[in-house]
Amino acid sequence: MPEGTLCNKKPIDTEEDLKTLLQDTGGKTYYEEMKVLDVNSDLLWNTIKNTCKSRMKTWLEICAHCGMCANSCFLYLINDCDPKQVPAYKIQSTLGEIIKKKGKVDNDFMHMAMETAWAKCTCCNRCGMYCPHGIDMGIMFGYLRGLLYAQGFVPWELKIGAGMHRVYRAQMDVTDTDFTETFEWMVEEYEEDYPGLTVPIDKEGADIMYTVNAREVKHYPEDLAEAAILFHLAGENWTVPSSGWEQTSLSMFAGDWPACKMQVEHVYAAMERLKPKRMVGTECGHAHRATVIEGPYWAGRKDGKPPVESIHYVEWIAEALKTGKLKIDPAKRIKQPVTLQDSCNYIRNHGLKTATREIISYIVEPGYFVEMTPNKEHNYCCGGGGGFNGIGIFRSQRNKALITKRDQLLDTGAELVIAPCHNCWDAIRDLEEEYKIGIKWSFLKPLLISMVQVPEHLQPKE
Amino acid sequence: MFKKILFATSATPVCDHAARVAFDMAQRYDSHISVFHVMGIPTRGYSQVVLDVKTGEKVDLDDDYMDWVKEEVKTYYSKQIEKVKKYDIDTVVGIPYREILRAIRKLKPDLVIMGGSTGDEEESVYKKGIAGSTLQKVAKSSNCPMLVVNRPAASFWGGLSKVVFGTDFSKASDAAFNFALKLVKALDCELHIFHALDISSIHLGRALTQDEIESKIRESLRQIRGKYINKIKDSSSCSFDVWEGIPYVEIVKYAREKYADLIVMAHHTRKMDPEDTRLGSNIEQVIVRAGCPVISINK
Repeated sequence: MPEGTLCNKKPIDTEEDLKTLLQDTGGKTYYEEMKVLDVNSDLLWNTIKNTCKSRMKTWLEICAHCGMCANSCFLYLINDCDPKQVPAYKIQSTLGEIIKKKGKVDNDFMHMAMETAWAKCTCCNRCGMYCPHGIDMGIMFGYLRGLLYAQGFVPWELKIGAGMHRVYRAQMDVTDTDFTETFEWMVEEYEEDYPGLTVPIDKEGADIMYTVNAREVKHYPEDLAEAAILFHLAGENWTVPSSGWEQTSLSMFAGDWPACKMQVEHVYAAMERLKPKRMVGTECGHAHRATVIEGPYWAGRKDGKPPVESIHYVEWIAEALKTGKLKIDPAKRIKQPVTLQDSCNYIRNHGLKTATREIISYIVEPGYFVEMTPNKEHNYCCGGGGGFNGIGIFRSQRNKALITKRDQLLDTGAELVIAPCHNCWDAIRDLEEEYKIGIKWSFLKPLLISMVQVPEHLQPKE
Repeated sequence: MFKKILFATSATPVCDHAARVAFDMAQRYDSHISVFHVMGIPTRGYSQVVLDVKTGEKVDLDDDYMDWVKEEVKTYYSKQIEKVKKYDIDTVVGIPYREILRAIRKLKPDLVIMGGSTGDEEESVYKKGIAGSTLQKVAKSSNCPMLVVNRPAASFWGGLSKVVFGTDFSKASDAAFNFALKLVKALDCELHIFHALDISSIHLGRALTQDEIESKIRESLRQIRGKYINKIKDSSSCSFDVWEGIPYVEIVKYAREKYADLIVMAHHTRKMDPEDTRLGSNIEQVIVRAGCPVISINK
């Protein structure tokens, strides 16, 4: 049974292995080894027998091949309506076949399945809304990814990503010390402008426990400062955990189920340790899906909910604006054509469309907000979801996928797009780099900071 | 005074003037110079692809590439490195201003040295994902004095003998004064204290009468005496002046008249509007125009 030294069925569990894999530039050796990687059919079939439950089986069985899902899929549309991009075909020809053949599939098949699972589906779940039977191909692709991951057929970057979660409990090599030190540094940097600004670490019984995306710590630490400033101005009793602060899950994109469980349990442990009233997560879509929507099931929580009520950042902002905890200076509202990117992971999949639009009503001068078409739960994926953004070998497919969003943006005539999701934010940045349409993009935090009123007692004295 | 110097550079010709001053200072004051280069900007979400700031190309990052860039930087400054005894070179990946600030926090240098502008703003890869220039953002947040060499003229530098301290009497200016005072004492230089009375914009729509101008000048001179001159023990190598005009123009003129080889000023622009960071404040205009290096002090 040929197993590669880099490409194999073993997950990355040590820092050393992680570094070795990282040094394989672009996954060159990794993908070479994948070409001869054996499929363990027994493992595959046993896994299916143990984990493929009635919902999934029924979905595969009752699909009427009606093709209603075709037009719902932006990848089908952007690829000249290629029949091989019809969601039903994509899942039947991969997961469906594996089950039909009782796991007896070969290396070529697995390569095809890998490309289908990571480059032909972003798990945006839009097709599930249009299927007359309610069959959700996105869910099934998530499942397929798990089967592929266990066999070692996973894009290089995601093997690394899942390994990061296993080693650091974060999607990047950011340690707990890095996190708390960076947060403290950011507060130091801004405390002169916002007297009394602090970052309460490991405070028990706070109203809010805040969790983040490791990328903020690594590359965009202002985001941490901005979160602190907004909580400070809103007068919130908040805290961050010194461990269990990472809300994201590249392991979910990778299909590394045990890592998904490890990661989310780590966050839940922080909740149980600090006993906050609520958890608020940063402006990230998949992090919310991982920790709030799917996580409870990974962790085997019977009520299907995290240990404490957990809300998305947009819900907190909408609430803070509504209750007047944060007040916007009307003169500073956005006065340019602006649109909003609905993140699949918490708009379509968690129904938060009203929250984001409430925020818009406070921060945009009436008359300047333009909806994309389609929008809300019908909106298209940014083009980079489900891990698509970071996978090198599927770059050309990803860039093509961005065209859908590009054209949607162009049709709005907007100059700015608000993208309260890391993945969408990234995809739109890449889209601008690739197609140069002159769009600006932003998270909500910097926009709010630029227009929020600072209560008199919190203003700097000089 | 300058035991540790952090020289943050793009390792391209735009930083050559700053490099000349940085290595010259390190040699003259026997400083340890840390050459710091942010080689790439992270891109593609969690992927390993970075945008190389020199070539503008997307590269797959690994240790070989990092080593290669480090070697490139070393070669670029090879002649200058020969002259200094203590140096190190570090190359990192990240958003440039943020990584420079991170390095300042870690190394705690006595002085940061940077070049001026990296050229065409629109084409610059530094623009990616962030608004405003690296220099402005570092100047705003750095808690370490920052020396900027923008014009070629500013880099023909023969050590320090005459320092101009420009003040607007703010709290940040007090910090800048303390630094200037320490510097002239340690390096035995002349100190020229200067305030420019802004008659350009503050009195919109009305020209000040000459009597008003002169009265304000007298008042400012009194402030200089009270705030600063009293603190100088030996005031024989010290002078002070107040001129009226557009502040940044007057400071540059004054420095030229005094043959200054350094200008020290405070940087205290609060909450920069990211849309409008392009060289707005006086110090930024001074940096662009001065014929000598400028030190900006924040805290």
